[in-house]
Parts: sequence; structure tokens; C-alpha cells
Amino acid sequence: MSASSTKFRVNIITNRCKECGICIGVCPTKVLVKGDKHNEHGFRYPLPVNIERCIGCRLCEYNCPDFAIFVEVVKK
Amino acid sequence: MVVSTLESSHPLDKYLRTARLPHIWCPGCGLGIALGSIMRAIDKRIKEGTLKKENLVFVTGIGCSARTSFYVNFDAAHTLHGRAIAFATGAKLAKPELEVIVIGGDGDIAGIGGNHLLHAAKRNMDLIVLMITNFVYAMTGGQVAPTTPLGLYTTTTPHGNPEPPLNVVKVVSSLNANYVARASVTHPALVEQYVYKALGMRGFRFIEILSTCPEIFGRHIGMRDPFTLYSTLRSKVIVKQSPSIEESDLDWGKGFVIGEYLVRDNPGYLDRIGRGLK
Repeated sequence: MSASSTKFRVNIITNRCKECGICIGVCPTKVLVKGDKHNEHGFRYPLPVNIERCIGCRLCEYNCPDFAIFVEVVKK
Repeated sequence: MVVSTLESSHPLDKYLRTARLPHIWCPGCGLGIALGSIMRAIDKRIKEGTLKKENLVFVTGIGCSARTSFYVNFDAAHTLHGRAIAFATGAKLAKPELEVIVIGGDGDIAGIGGNHLLHAAKRNMDLIVLMITNFVYAMTGGQVAPTTPLGLYTTTTPHGNPEPPLNVVKVVSSLNANYVARASVTHPALVEQYVYKALGMRGFRFIEILSTCPEIFGRHIGMRDPFTLYSTLRSKVIVKQSPSIEESDLDWGKGFVIGEYLVRDNPGYLDRIGRGLK
């Protein structure tokens, strides 16, 4: 699962997610929203719905306990 | 089965045994955040060339935090309960070129292995000890731990904890340790910074990392939701540049002061017995 703005791409490794909600809580610009689809372990992973607001602070990446989310700079 | 469509992988995947992921820890456990920050510090050192991947050894005891040795792609040893520091001392003395990192919980390092901690710090043994404090014995069901703050509810203290906590930062500072710091998983950049600094020093380096345990600790104090406990701990953490030892008490009401309590460069044990590399 990934989505990109003009500058940043938020990648979510869906099968590692455990639905703790920390990434959704720490995001300062509310990029991530809890999704309604379940991964193979039955957890609902977040979706980077408002990706155009992403400022690339990487708080979601640093605060994910499950190594499930990372932010990349899009090269253009 | 959801097939991953990513073009790239997580930046820490090269240091993780990805076949074992997702890990055993509960949703919202702070241990994953702490492990990620430790890996980023190691990654920075490896990229700089000041640390070799094959010289790194993780030694852990028993407990939730001791499961870290199962997920790191370095040499690792999973030893007896509380004896991780004793094992690590042996490994370091046998091969002084190794960089030995001990990871354990508060019950493992301060509770059962407390005497090993005291003597390793007394000798200024060349180890890094990372104590991940989640305030309870989480793996065995949430019994009161040496570091549980006064008055908090746990499985075995249903009327509130009557005992004041053990302040491990103060205990280790009173001995001959070279580096004593306290960090928190709610501030992962500081965990990374302190571990990075500790990796470049000699002697005994002790970092206490405050962590969250929503499943076992949080449920008894009414914070079962991971982000509620996370943000509560974040609001209680006070970051100071050079705090004094007197401020280091673990008090749930007044908050926890984090920072570098002690930095010095005394000769380590290996220098004193003439087998140091420097």
C-alpha cells in the first residue's frame, strides 16, 4: 500500500500492521486515516488518504512499533 | 492474502530477520519503537564506518524486551533470566573487539539481574546496557516490578503500589559508569541520539528507555488504548539538556525527567587489565 504527493511517498507494509493507531495519532497534519480493509492477520491498516498534506516529518515511521510504515522522498 | 505492491522495502529491513515479522509484541508496544531507534543509531554508525556489523553482539535475558535478539540480523544470544550482563561480560573479555549490547526489561536487569548490573557498573565493564522500562513484569502477567511508580495499580497491587520505585539511573550513577542517560520511546529521536553516542564511548554505558505497555500495564490504570497511554507518557516526559541526579526519581504524578545524567571518559575494565584495544 503506498500513495505519493509531489514530494513524499508514504508506504505501508500492510501485513505487518497491528492497528495500534499510534501513526494516526502522532501525524501532525492528519495524513493517515484508519482503513476499513483487513490484512491477513485481521487488523485494519491505516491509509494515507490526505497524502498531499504530508510534510515528510517521518514521525509515523519513527513511532511505528511494527516496522510497517516508511516515508520516501519522491525523486522527480 | 494481500500481495505487497511496494517497489522498495523498509529502510531497517537489512538489519531485521524479516521472515519472523510481524513480531510477537502486542499492538502498540513501545519495544518496537525502541528497537527501531536503536537500529537507526547502529545504521548510522555502520554507514560512518565506526562500527562493523560482524562485531556487534546482542545479549538478552528473559522477558518481552529480550525477544529483540530474535528479530535482529546480528549475532545474538538469548540467555538465562537476569544473567544477560554476566554472559555479555564473558563475551567481551573473550573477544575485546566485539561491541556487546545488552537489552533487557526492568524486571530482567533491575529486578532479577540487579546484582550483575551493580557489579558490571562497579567494574566499568565495556558494555552497553539498554534497560527498557515498562513499569511491570509484562510477560508473566503484569506483576509489580521494582520500577513501578508509587500508587499505581497492577495485577498484584489492586489497592495501588505501596512501595516507592527503584531509581536505577541514580543507582548506576553512584557507581563507576561512564555514561548514564534516560530516554523515552515517545521521543524516538533522543533514543537514537543517546545510543549513537554510547556506541562511540568506552566503559559501562547505561541507558534507561521508558516504554509503553498498553496491554498489561495500561489496562489496570485505565489506558487500554495504545495511543492514550503513549500520549499520556509523552505528556509526563520532561526533556532536559543536563539534568541533575536529584531530578531523576520515577514519579507518575510529577513526570519523568529524561536526558544525559552522566558523561565521563574514565578507563574501562579492559583498559585497566591491559587488554584494551586503544
